[in-house]
Amino acid sequence: MVAVSPLLRRRLLSTSVTRTHHKPQQQWSIKQVTKSNFADTLEDIKSHVSNSDFVAVSLQNTGFFSAPWQRVSPFDTADTAYLKAKYAAERFQVLHFAVCPFTVRASKVTAYPYNFHLFPRPELKMEMPSYSFYCQTSSLISMARQGFDFNSCINDGISYLSREQESAAKIQMGNPILAKNVTESTSTLSVADSVFIERIKSHIKNWKKACKETSTRKEGNQIQDALVRSLRKLVLGNEEYDSRPCMNIDVCSERQAQLVVEMLQEFADDVVPLIIPAKGGAMQAVRVVLTSSKEDKDLLQGKLQNDEQELKKKVRGFREVIDLISASQKPVVSHGSLNDLTLIHSKFIAPLPPTVDEFMCSLRLAFPLVIDVNHLMKEINPLRKVTSIPSAISQLKNRFFTPIDMEIPCQAMENEDTILGQNVVKICELFARLCSILKIDPADVKSDKEKRASALEAYANIFRPFCTASEEPIDGEIKIWTNNTRTVSCEDLVFLWGFGDRVTAGVLKSLLQESHEAFSKEFDVRLVDTSCAIVIFWQHGLSETFLNTMNKCSDMCGPLREMVSEGLRAAGYETYNRACRLGFWESSLADSLDRALANSDCASEADSKTKCSDRCNEWIINLDDL
Amino acid sequence: MRMRKHQWLRTALSRAYYCTFSSSFPLKHVTQSNFESAVADLKTHLKAADFVAIDLEMTGVTSAPWRESLEFDRFDVKYLKVKDSAEKFAVVQLGVCPFRWDPLRLSFIAHPHNFFIFPRQEVPIDSSSYEFLCQTTSIDFLAKYHFDFNVCIRQGVPYLSRGQEDEALRLLNLRYENELSEQARDVPLVSITDILFSERMKNRLREWRDGLLRDTSGGSQLEGLFSNDSNQQFQNIFYKMRPALSLNGFTSHQLRLIQSVTRKHFKDLASVRVEGESSCSQQLVVYTDSESDRDLLKKEVMNDYRRQAEMKIKAAIGFRHVIDVLSSEKKLIVGHNCFLDLAHIHSKFLGPLPLEAEEFVSSVNKCFPYIIDTKILLNTNNILKQRMKKSKTSLSSAFLSLCPQIAFASKESCNLTFSSSVKVEVQVDDTRSSSWISGVKHEAGYDAFMTGCVFAQACNLLGIDFKLYSPSENLACNERLQKHANLLYLSWINGDIIDLSTGHRTAESLRCRDLKKSQTGILFENIVLLWGFPSKLKTAVIKDRISKVFGPTSVTSIFRLDETAVLVQFSKLKLVADFLVVKETLERSNDAFSVLHPLSTILEGGNTCAASYETYKDICSSSVSKLLFADQAEAVGIRWKTKLVERKEELETEEQDNFHEENAANTISVYVEQN
Repeated sequence: MVAVSPLLRRRLLSTSVTRTHHKPQQQWSIKQVTKSNFADTLEDIKSHVSNSDFVAVSLQNTGFFSAPWQRVSPFDTADTAYLKAKYAAERFQVLHFAVCPFTVRASKVTAYPYNFHLFPRPELKMEMPSYSFYCQTSSLISMARQGFDFNSCINDGISYLSREQESAAKIQMGNPILAKNVTESTSTLSVADSVFIERIKSHIKNWKKACKETSTRKEGNQIQDALVRSLRKLVLGNEEYDSRPCMNIDVCSERQAQLVVEMLQEFADDVVPLIIPAKGGAMQAVRVVLTSSKEDKDLLQGKLQNDEQELKKKVRGFREVIDLISASQKPVVSHGSLNDLTLIHSKFIAPLPPTVDEFMCSLRLAFPLVIDVNHLMKEINPLRKVTSIPSAISQLKNRFFTPIDMEIPCQAMENEDTILGQNVVKICELFARLCSILKIDPADVKSDKEKRASALEAYANIFRPFCTASEEPIDGEIKIWTNNTRTVSCEDLVFLWGFGDRVTAGVLKSLLQESHEAFSKEFDVRLVDTSCAIVIFWQHGLSETFLNTMNKCSDMCGPLREMVSEGLRAAGYETYNRACRLGFWESSLADSLDRALANSDCASEADSKTKCSDRCNEWIINLDDL
Repeated sequence: MRMRKHQWLRTALSRAYYCTFSSSFPLKHVTQSNFESAVADLKTHLKAADFVAIDLEMTGVTSAPWRESLEFDRFDVKYLKVKDSAEKFAVVQLGVCPFRWDPLRLSFIAHPHNFFIFPRQEVPIDSSSYEFLCQTTSIDFLAKYHFDFNVCIRQGVPYLSRGQEDEALRLLNLRYENELSEQARDVPLVSITDILFSERMKNRLREWRDGLLRDTSGGSQLEGLFSNDSNQQFQNIFYKMRPALSLNGFTSHQLRLIQSVTRKHFKDLASVRVEGESSCSQQLVVYTDSESDRDLLKKEVMNDYRRQAEMKIKAAIGFRHVIDVLSSEKKLIVGHNCFLDLAHIHSKFLGPLPLEAEEFVSSVNKCFPYIIDTKILLNTNNILKQRMKKSKTSLSSAFLSLCPQIAFASKESCNLTFSSSVKVEVQVDDTRSSSWISGVKHEAGYDAFMTGCVFAQACNLLGIDFKLYSPSENLACNERLQKHANLLYLSWINGDIIDLSTGHRTAESLRCRDLKKSQTGILFENIVLLWGFPSKLKTAVIKDRISKVFGPTSVTSIFRLDETAVLVQFSKLKLVADFLVVKETLERSNDAFSVLHPLSTILEGGNTCAASYETYKDICSSSVSKLLFADQAEAVGIRWKTKLVERKEELETEEQDNFHEENAANTISVYVEQN
């Protein structure tokens, strides 16, 4: 409780602060995009992205973290921070997604902000893109305060499918796809291959001949014709596709399908090959459609291509925007990149991989350069602790002379609601200001593609919220500024719980001081949530002594024994790590750690691995942040 | 902001106008803004009512496809699924419609109320209650029926369950005690800056106090005392008739130092914290006449603080006031297929749902002793079944077929045809009408109204003559209704009925539906849960492979949970144990020949797990909800592949049985020998 109430108060204060900052500030006009104007907007944004140097993104989610301890904290390693962000990204939904391609030239920022309203509507009735999602009432209420219209979001929001969902949907629908023309033979043929091809070839020749014959002998006996046709259908597997004769050729591998398509080029004048994807474990097939003439063939191909495009548009929805940002390979600028990018990955690319390294690899393929303004801010001392964008901008304005001229060519229609999505413009502005203070020229990104602005790259792709890009050069500086910043190894941390919820950190510390020799040296206690505290042993090795005592009943004596018999429990960092990894996201950390301890036998192998990496994992702890 | 407010009001009103268009008026929508007055009115209606119809709109029903109510769900599993749904999803609209028989007008008077509710966090308690799941299809469904999400989120009435209220009060007491103990604790002066700051504050406070003592009468000097403070850190004010200093712009650490200075050095000064208007607290140093006066003041401040917090908790109870009245008045509650509704009401307004269905049922019964479900009534009563013929018993079709005079009120001619039916008049505020057709299907208030009308009409058809009926009589105790009271469908799809007053379960016997198997035919102990097999594996193939090993009649039926899991019902109990043993042995003998075993198709991929029905229950009881059953099992923490069960002795000694056993054993031994 003690921990909650100041936290709450702080939150209340901070919202009132942002609001006062809001009012005098200019409100930019931002183009709002829903289902109805999405198709038209897509072309505009495409050209804006390709003409800009950066793309800023800002997401509005239905929630952030489910319990106080599940928010990323200073004591999280890259792994646990990622796991927390992953958990949130999988649970919550993004309802509006602001995208802003922008360019910085000297002191002028040219930005084209768009705010997309999203809703995971099941367009294809296949439990995609999202079966369900969580909402936090506080997030919804704050969105409502900003003037967010939930009705329009749900009715007119743009749906989407992730890349992985799209391919799954294609298979599930089983629609035939136009086979791509194979330009050259990829590999040498084996004997089996050539036998297979020859067999198919003669099969097709016969079938073509038979088809041609029936179409020329139109004047023949109707009844007999029908009989023959149905017989032929039985024998040859003859069917019709789009009122043209067609035949399915079963293939048992990707390679065979390719061989058939290759062979069919011989008949390219009037035969169109289609690939039928494997549906629910059924065999893949190549469908051969016979057209009556060259024109007819072009007509069919055009129609199929058109259908495919239409379907793509319907299926991909908003993901088209993500794809075009990704295809442009432009640097992505965000505020809180870990949360934003995990969300983008899980909703629009593929489910999040289990480890942070895999995530980084997968993400880099889509977005090679991600810059978090938070990390740029950490380079400037007065901003180290500022988290909200408006207050960061106003502090920068007060302390530094950075004339930035924002130019936003008006794109919104007069009667449109244009307030939502201001954040993304502020991110652009903040980015430009920070670059100018840090003496980074954002224009470098464009001028020199090979040695792409190494200055910016140093700040890119950092997904740990509580560390700076270049700790070493400014190490000394930090310590002058705040003497609370110290480095500690994960090994020197111990989680304590089971002390009841009536204890403050101060009381707990004084209780501990008398309980065990390990607490005779300098240590600190902070509450993570009401149920659990973290103890920081500033002298290396003491944590181990303490944990050993906790594990052996005989060594315990005095007050510690008393506390343990009242339910006190302790665990090292690896238990916390395991709780995150195994997904024990209980609402109180104490429950999660209890579950992780109970589960310790099965996961010991994986633990030993993480232990090693933790050893070299030293991190900065800022006590004020805790 | 004002403009926006206008906008949503307009959308809310547009819906209302739509109703007036068809020559009637809208039902009563209740939001935060008119809650107080509406509830005051509703309370009097509830007290006078003969029965109260209710209906709920939720943000979703199932948190995963396999969480849907399935044919192979045992009653306890069914309850767990309902429990999961009620715990995860939010109620966004609640319809309450009291019905009262008016002996003068010879008709029922209905007062439909449509409450928008939203789990707004008003008091600091466990944050996990302020998070809820939305099922995309349900949200889409609500949107289709023009549900106004903006009104719900911005204006929805908050609520606290009884459990949450207790928790909030407990936390309040805790904070109260902490506050007291915190005050007694001194801040150690560690750094030189702290010492200097404390010293300076001591001097300042002394100056101020001495100034007050020098001139107790005059205020003029007081004013000027700290006026030279450039940053307005100290402000002279009066607090509870005593001169006080309000402290501004200090950090919390500095404030703590000031507190300890006041406590240590001034017997006549008290430092107190008071809650300001915008829930920002304000630190004051107050001058008191004596030590006893100081203690008095401190006590007063703490009591104020406590009272304020208690008021806030009272206000946060919100919609639960309505539930409390329903419960205390012991009114007959009428719902349509309302087991899930009651689970929601329990978890939202009473407390956490118990683990067992029996416990839940008795808890509901204690709170609402009389409940009648119209779906049960229509499906189990012979007279009503005849009247309904074969038509559907969904709420809207029941309403259309039983109460056409209300449904088609605009067509005057109809009134003659249905003269025998019960009249229902609707009253909203002061407007009353007998031809009320407004309302949107799937709007909780209107659905509640329809439910009530269906019930009134059903009573009429059962021969209850309201003209002879005295208001003191409890309708639920009427002999014609009594046998239908407190019965609910635990699950509609297989007609499992639970009695709220006894906790007994019965399978519906009267309803003849072409179910493939009745619930009684399923032997749950004969079932094996199988999951994690290759997702393209067809059910028929699974059946074929198992039959190859255990005999052609070994598998009674297979039920598909989703693409990753099936429930296999064996014909004999012992086959369950046998199957699990064979599977386990097969997995252990990791040789080339086990590939030839018929079961290897099922075990392909190496992730196939199997266990008894109890494991299915365990997995359902978890609060996790993964989309696919196999993922769910993993998330629940199942790390084993086969959970063997104890072989129970069976009295059957059929030859066929032996054959199966030998056959199964032989198949293994052959493979083992070859190895």
